[in-house]
Amino acid sequence: MRHQGSPDLSVRIGRITLKNPVITASGTFGFGREFEDFIDLSQLGAIIPKGISLRPMPGNRPPRLFETDCGLINSIGLQNPGFEAFVKHHLPYLQAIDTHVIVNFFGSTIEEYVELARRFDEIPYLSGLEMNISCPNVSCGGISFCSDLNMTYELVREVRKATRLTLLVKLSPHVTDMGAWARCCEEAGADGVSLVNTFKALALNVQTRKAELGNLFGGLSGPAIKPIALRMVWEASQAVKIPVVGIGGIMNAEDAIAFLLVGATAVEIGTANLVNPRSSVEIVQGIRDYLDRNGIPSVSALTGLFLRENR
Amino acid sequence: MAFQTTAPVLQNRQIGPDSYALEMDCPPIAEAAKAGQFVMVRVSPKGHPLLRRPFSIAESYSPASPNPENRGHLLILYKKVGKGTELMTHWEEGVEVDLIGPLGRGYTLPPSPSPGPIVLLGGGVGVASLYALWSRLKDRNVSILVGAKTKDDILWPFHDPSIKEALRIATEDGSLGWKGTVLDLFLTFVRENRKERPLHIYACGPMGMLKGLSDLTRSESMVVEASLEARMGCGLGACWGCVVKTTDPVMPYHRVCKEGPVFDLKKIVWEE
Repeated sequence: MRHQGSPDLSVRIGRITLKNPVITASGTFGFGREFEDFIDLSQLGAIIPKGISLRPMPGNRPPRLFETDCGLINSIGLQNPGFEAFVKHHLPYLQAIDTHVIVNFFGSTIEEYVELARRFDEIPYLSGLEMNISCPNVSCGGISFCSDLNMTYELVREVRKATRLTLLVKLSPHVTDMGAWARCCEEAGADGVSLVNTFKALALNVQTRKAELGNLFGGLSGPAIKPIALRMVWEASQAVKIPVVGIGGIMNAEDAIAFLLVGATAVEIGTANLVNPRSSVEIVQGIRDYLDRNGIPSVSALTGLFLRENR
Repeated sequence: MAFQTTAPVLQNRQIGPDSYALEMDCPPIAEAAKAGQFVMVRVSPKGHPLLRRPFSIAESYSPASPNPENRGHLLILYKKVGKGTELMTHWEEGVEVDLIGPLGRGYTLPPSPSPGPIVLLGGGVGVASLYALWSRLKDRNVSILVGAKTKDDILWPFHDPSIKEALRIATEDGSLGWKGTVLDLFLTFVRENRKERPLHIYACGPMGMLKGLSDLTRSESMVVEASLEARMGCGLGACWGCVVKTTDPVMPYHRVCKEGPVFDLKKIVWEE
């Protein structure tokens, strides 16, 4: 069974239409430029550069990385140059690329989140915002918000009031009912939720009896977390009508397709970028091939197909 | 410009109890490489282990090299220390290696003619990048000081025998060359060349050795560039995982893979 013409890869999130459902995850793709030697950046559905705070942040003390079986624990600590330096030195490069730029940002208070949202809203040609309320590595990265539904509701609602840009909320996996969190964001006015962020983790060296990371704890990502992330995306996508963006250990097109099948509208590629800088564009091609081979006309027909076929 | 490419193994030679020299045919990276730069090697296409491993380039020959036998060749040295490097020891001739490079900021070559002697100082597998530097400086007044625990730990991959004249070796057990550490050997060198300043020093090796060198050279009129090691995520400057603390008052943590791996040693802050 083959359909005519090439499959439609475009997806819609809030006010923006992505040319395909593949987005690079914040913190794993630098400011885009780092990958220009390896891929054509305009082939991506969207780029999410490194998370930005109002003021520069120095980040955590090293060591910041520890590789585990099938995963990676990081404690970067949201090191970033701050809003002004980002807008001056990095955003012009990103805006010249023929794709969407969704800015990931975070604060330590509701006021900081709102202030940043307002400032980004004034920048022309920005596509969207992803608010990080779930970094496990620093106290100001929002993890305190994601432990309280009421606080999350209030935070998202205030940010919503401050911007007309497409707004995603990036959620922590450290919750028991992912559906409730996704619904909370939807009710507060988010255009979509992206999940999951990393899992808080610890690694020890038993010879030295010291922690492997300078910050003690870090966030686990990579293939190790994929099945749990997939289950959580399955839960979230049934709880809300707004788009769910799937994240968690997606290394290839097959992984990405699994997230789409359980209801994700798009996916974010994270740790895979570090291993293979071409991962994201190879996944775009892999999704296209899969649709072609299976006679599925579009990515939107793929989204949630597992749920419809296994009711 | 960096390249992601596959390169066939030409030779994967054991050069010490746990040390190997891996030679690959990789014209694009060999052409672009500068001394002090590195490559990221994917050790397992299946992703176990997950991350690439960084290796300094020890030798690189332009595709236009006068010697047709080494045109486009790239050599790295590695020591079997974990799962990744263990897998690498099994690579035989013809295996296609997934490589990214050349990456990072390499050594700054000394002014020509240099106002003082040039010293290359290395320990362990860190000597690799110094070999790359030496091949660009060998017509000048260069000394190479290399240290290791025993003579078996000295890495010796050379095709070019002329390096012997410039080389001085220290072993901690005295099994080869000077008995002591490479820093002891360095102090002797400094005393022997007391009238000649400034010294241009290039160093690569374990963090302990570099910290020692930093203490010894802080007050002297010496220019020290050091290549640092760190656990790396991407090698491309994207993840900020491999940072080192510097004297930069605004953003103290600099990326070893991007602003480095070669740094002005005086700008490194040694943390407990």
